[in-house]
Amino acid sequence: MAKPFNPHEMAQAQFDHVAGILNLDQPTRDLLRWPLREYQFAIPVRMDDGSARVFRGFRVQHNDARGPSKGGIRFHPQETADTVRALAMWMSWKCAVVDIPLGGGKGGVVCDPHNLSMREQEQICRGWVRQIARDVGPFRDVPAPDVMTSGQHMVWMLDEFETIYGGRYPGFITGKPVNMGGSLGRAEATGFGVVYTVREALKELGMALAETTASVQGFGNVAQYAAKLYAQLGGTVVAVSCWDQADQISYAFRKQDGVNVDALLGITDRFGGIDKKKARDLGYEVLPGDAWLEQDVDILMPNAIEHQITADNVGRIGKGVRLIAEGANGPTTPEADAVIQQRGIFLVPDFLANAGGVTCSYFEQVQSNANFFWEKDDVLDKLDRKMTSAYQAVSCLAQQQKLYMRDAAYVIAVSRVAQACRDRRWV
Amino acid sequence: MTQPRQPIDKILEALQERAKELNCLYQVDEQINRPDAPPDDVFRGILEVIPTGYQYPGVCRARLVVDDLVYQGPGFQETAWVQRAEIVVQGIVLGRVEVYYTQAMPRSDEGPFLREERKLIEAIAERIGHHLAQRRLRGAIQGRQAVEGGAGAAPERDWWVIVDFLRHTDRQLLIRLARKMLNHLCLNGVDEAHQLLQRFAPQRESEVQGPQDDNRPVQKKTPEDLLALTDETFRIAARHLQVEDILSRMEGWIKGDKSSFLLEALERPATTLTDVAEAIQRFRFVGVNERDLTRSMQIALRAGLVRRFFSDEQGFVNTAKNYVEVSDFYDLTPRIICPASGHGKLGGKSAGLIVAAKIVQQAREYAELLADLRVPRTWYITSDGVLDFVQYNHLEDVYDRKYLELDQIRREYPHIVQVFKNSHFSPEIAKGLSQCLGDLAGGPIIVRSSSLLEDRMGAAFSGKYKSLFLANLGTPQERLAALQDAIAEVYASIFAPDPIEYRAERGLLDQHEEMGIMIQQVVGTRVGDYFLPAFSGVAFSRNEFRWSARIRRDDGLLRLVPGLGTRAVDRLGDDYPVLVAPGQPGLRVNVSPDEVLRYSPTMVDAINLCTRSFETAPLRQLLRSHGNEYPQITDIVSVVQDDAIREPLHLDFAGDDLVVTFDGLVSRTPFILQMRTLLKLLQDRLGVPVDLEFAHDGRHLYLLQCRAQSSAAETAPALIPADLPRERVLFTANRYVSNGRVPDLTHIVYVDPAAYGRLEDLAALKEVARIVGKLNKRLPRRRFILMGPGRWGSRGDIKLGVAVTYSEINNTAILVEVARKEGHYVPDVSFGTHFFQDLVEASIRYLPLYPDEPENVLNEGFLLESPNLLPQLLPEHADLAGTVRVIDVPRASGGLVLRVLMNGEEDRAAAVLVAP
Repeated sequence: MAKPFNPHEMAQAQFDHVAGILNLDQPTRDLLRWPLREYQFAIPVRMDDGSARVFRGFRVQHNDARGPSKGGIRFHPQETADTVRALAMWMSWKCAVVDIPLGGGKGGVVCDPHNLSMREQEQICRGWVRQIARDVGPFRDVPAPDVMTSGQHMVWMLDEFETIYGGRYPGFITGKPVNMGGSLGRAEATGFGVVYTVREALKELGMALAETTASVQGFGNVAQYAAKLYAQLGGTVVAVSCWDQADQISYAFRKQDGVNVDALLGITDRFGGIDKKKARDLGYEVLPGDAWLEQDVDILMPNAIEHQITADNVGRIGKGVRLIAEGANGPTTPEADAVIQQRGIFLVPDFLANAGGVTCSYFEQVQSNANFFWEKDDVLDKLDRKMTSAYQAVSCLAQQQKLYMRDAAYVIAVSRVAQACRDRRWV
Repeated sequence: MTQPRQPIDKILEALQERAKELNCLYQVDEQINRPDAPPDDVFRGILEVIPTGYQYPGVCRARLVVDDLVYQGPGFQETAWVQRAEIVVQGIVLGRVEVYYTQAMPRSDEGPFLREERKLIEAIAERIGHHLAQRRLRGAIQGRQAVEGGAGAAPERDWWVIVDFLRHTDRQLLIRLARKMLNHLCLNGVDEAHQLLQRFAPQRESEVQGPQDDNRPVQKKTPEDLLALTDETFRIAARHLQVEDILSRMEGWIKGDKSSFLLEALERPATTLTDVAEAIQRFRFVGVNERDLTRSMQIALRAGLVRRFFSDEQGFVNTAKNYVEVSDFYDLTPRIICPASGHGKLGGKSAGLIVAAKIVQQAREYAELLADLRVPRTWYITSDGVLDFVQYNHLEDVYDRKYLELDQIRREYPHIVQVFKNSHFSPEIAKGLSQCLGDLAGGPIIVRSSSLLEDRMGAAFSGKYKSLFLANLGTPQERLAALQDAIAEVYASIFAPDPIEYRAERGLLDQHEEMGIMIQQVVGTRVGDYFLPAFSGVAFSRNEFRWSARIRRDDGLLRLVPGLGTRAVDRLGDDYPVLVAPGQPGLRVNVSPDEVLRYSPTMVDAINLCTRSFETAPLRQLLRSHGNEYPQITDIVSVVQDDAIREPLHLDFAGDDLVVTFDGLVSRTPFILQMRTLLKLLQDRLGVPVDLEFAHDGRHLYLLQCRAQSSAAETAPALIPADLPRERVLFTANRYVSNGRVPDLTHIVYVDPAAYGRLEDLAALKEVARIVGKLNKRLPRRRFILMGPGRWGSRGDIKLGVAVTYSEINNTAILVEVARKEGHYVPDVSFGTHFFQDLVEASIRYLPLYPDEPENVLNEGFLLESPNLLPQLLPEHADLAGTVRVIDVPRASGGLVLRVLMNGEEDRAAAVLVAP
């Protein structure tokens, strides 16, 4: 009997597949298939007009064997429990794959911020903390921003937490503005992270980065910094693509001898849209969006959105492409994945490649706990080391066990979590 | 009789003379109105002032003869070059005013004197005449009082004095007063008065009945009889009425009588507007305070003025007469430009603004809050100005153009514009325009249309006629030429294809369109090379674009932009205004930083003072170089830092990442409260929802326009017929409905909520979004309706709604969300908030459906059983035909189309299949 799509069941199925490769015993599977703890609570709030309204809040802590749970808080009109469980589980694996000492969690409040004033949202944030304060904290569970929440909400929650506990605990929450305990380097983190994995992968492929060429999809935060660092390290970015808001389609911008990232940034709007006319004036060829994929380059970096390399266009990938690094989440469909494997193109999965963001989040927590904040260079330096060692571990496993990189990443993540549970003699 | 055309210089010269004459007249008034000066002083003062009004003051001498007393300056000599006017008081010549030139001067209209100087001397004589009459009356009263034993000794005698005085000086007036007094006594049931009345006009019993007696003439009374009757009347009055009553009534009637000329002028259809304007000025100097008139007289005057100048639309007259006063026209009429024998009006737009300003002025309870509200200085050209223009340039052929095929009109319209721009204005109008520019010097101006057709048909017409901005710089000739050019262009827009099409569709093509013009100062200050207001916008007292269930229609809506309000009035392709509901300023459309950033304005409209043209400029650049000059900038922008948006304490214009949010304006100034109050006040007083245009220059808030809101076709409530045949109804709704009407839809795209909820995997759910996107590109633009589950554009949870981006739905005419009950609760719909402002700017309507409520209907049979075009249109997605259904309405229904009628006033909507 066919069942409707259930995100949690999909996540569990993914886990089951990996558990099979690892040959995990049943108790361990039972422990890891479901969250360790789920909280649901009521948040009564005084609305602006004086009336009272009750919102439902929740927090799911999937697993914290490796360290305090980490995960975002979202404001969403109807969050289904299954979605949240799936996301919490995914956070556990994400933190594990990049080897930071954190577990996975997710939470939020059922509400639509479009229906709430800022004052009411503040009340909800503080109310959330009040209800769950005993079960979160810098050593238990560290929230972060997510759908429809921002740094402002994080600061309100921190303030409430600190009021309750009578002290300053900046390590309680991440995603804070820089002047309120946020970390420097957050803007660069994800994009740079992608390039660190590219660099390491190229080493394995026996290619010198400075002699390679790349094509980048997207020109938002991740793509901009990825292109920047890659060029800095000597690589040549031949093409970038982006979405044109006015024309409502995407375009690719090519310069065979290498795009000038800074020059392009000068003509890019804040949503990552490049000014077509000015790009032409600067000597760039303006091509249809999909052209980024067809370039005769060594490296492809899909850094925009999901579902971009599909069965339809995978055949048009340039003949010389040796490496694909997924800066975006889910840019490659399973069908395309199969073709890529067949062609022997090396793939750094999204799971690993874009872990720079969550790593920087971890750094924010570390700096906050120490009440000592590093210079940006320090942050990026540590990021480099972390991403490099994470990559190497995954790659090593892939080679040893003859696994596809995507599977290897999951395997290493799950095994680390399972190991921690075992070390504690939970199972 | 038009004068031969004079070159601009001569016109300007002529105007300078006119100014002198007016000035002279004012100075004469000043002399006369000195309260305690003895008559000799006053007359000598007048003598000195008179020469200043004449062309050659150096050789000009005046002489006054009053009551046989002669007043003249030292060394006065009579010469042959003289202009004289008699001083007449109630029909009797009491003296004369004489003006001499001591030597021969160039010949003009009347010897060496101008035609205008004739008017001047006659006006002066009249003034002196009035003054003398007043003095006499006062003298008589005082004299009488002296006899009776001092002022205030016997007030009851004062009115007898008046009667006496009038018997000698103005018998007709006395008889009229007596008649009024008699009527008043009769109305109060005084029997004696009834009897007297019969003698005034013999009453036959049969007069009460048939019409056949009406034609018999009444017996005429001799003068002596009438005077005796008047004495009788007043004696009766003395017996039955209080002294104060008699006095105040007589005062009222005398003043009313004095003012009757104005009422007559207004009510006689033949009087031209110029004559009425002169009558108004006379009224002003007659010295009557309109508040002293009887109530009916006041209202009659006001209604007459409104009808004559503004509009004869009955509803408008009924409202406006309660607010507009005669005194408002003193300053208004000098600023109205009209053809010599004109009967035109100002038009609804102009009138609406004037009435709104009066309403605000008279609202004492909000005096403090709205003290700051202003209206920019405005000049008006009456609606027949365009007729005059066409006639003067023999352009009558252009009236035939409107009967041509639309394509031809479209092609030829640019030629019409050119012809108009190369034509000229008649001398009266040109003169008026020069005066106007003199008054509006020093800043840019805007030329707006105020058409009479707009008033009648409502502003579905709005935006079809042009508004033009002018820098108003350069020599007077250049400025005048630019102004005339602009007005000609606005006139030409009457013959543009869009308005013609509109009028043709409604059978209004045959009427001559009359269009008034408003020439208004542009509100703003100089910032760098640009002139622009700090911010401006449009305000609606009824909000038809609500983004949350918590916002009610009466919370209103503001569209705010920095710079000129054109960017708030028009729909912009690529930029957005900031939306705020004044009744609920805390609930903003855009909450997350990326939403705020995406939907904030980045461009400003302004007048470039260097190129003297209207321009759209990027705001960020302007601020970078001139941010410090921009007024109230800290209330307008916020700073973006690390994905957080903050109100700035201090702005670094060069370095900071700035975004327009108006957060400071909303939270730290009384602006929202002012707008809310203003909207409510005007809506209450005018009895209809209003739509205002406003601008703020950093110091004051200005009202630019006020008109009825529901006249816009887009936001007008649709009429839902009572008995709709069930089989023709596709769905009904009864919650969160906004006004609107979406006609003639030929396709339906229906994402079946039940099937969507049953889809098994993520890939399929995502595929639905892609399918919708492809259909969006294929189906005819704005001819299809998109219906689906829950929340279109849902980002968090794909099961809650199809995860489309705006570009995948931007061609739909209306977006519908179907909220089915799940267990006990009904899910929240999104109100389109994932791309709300895009929907607003594209005029895509939104409607939520709650089909599980008992009163509502959703014809799932039609939706699920009609042939599905999806496999045909997108064969690669045929596997999801069970979830996504595409229906060709005419094919499925036998030639019908779908019409969605939405009525926000009743909170009801219905989608019906109708004949096209």
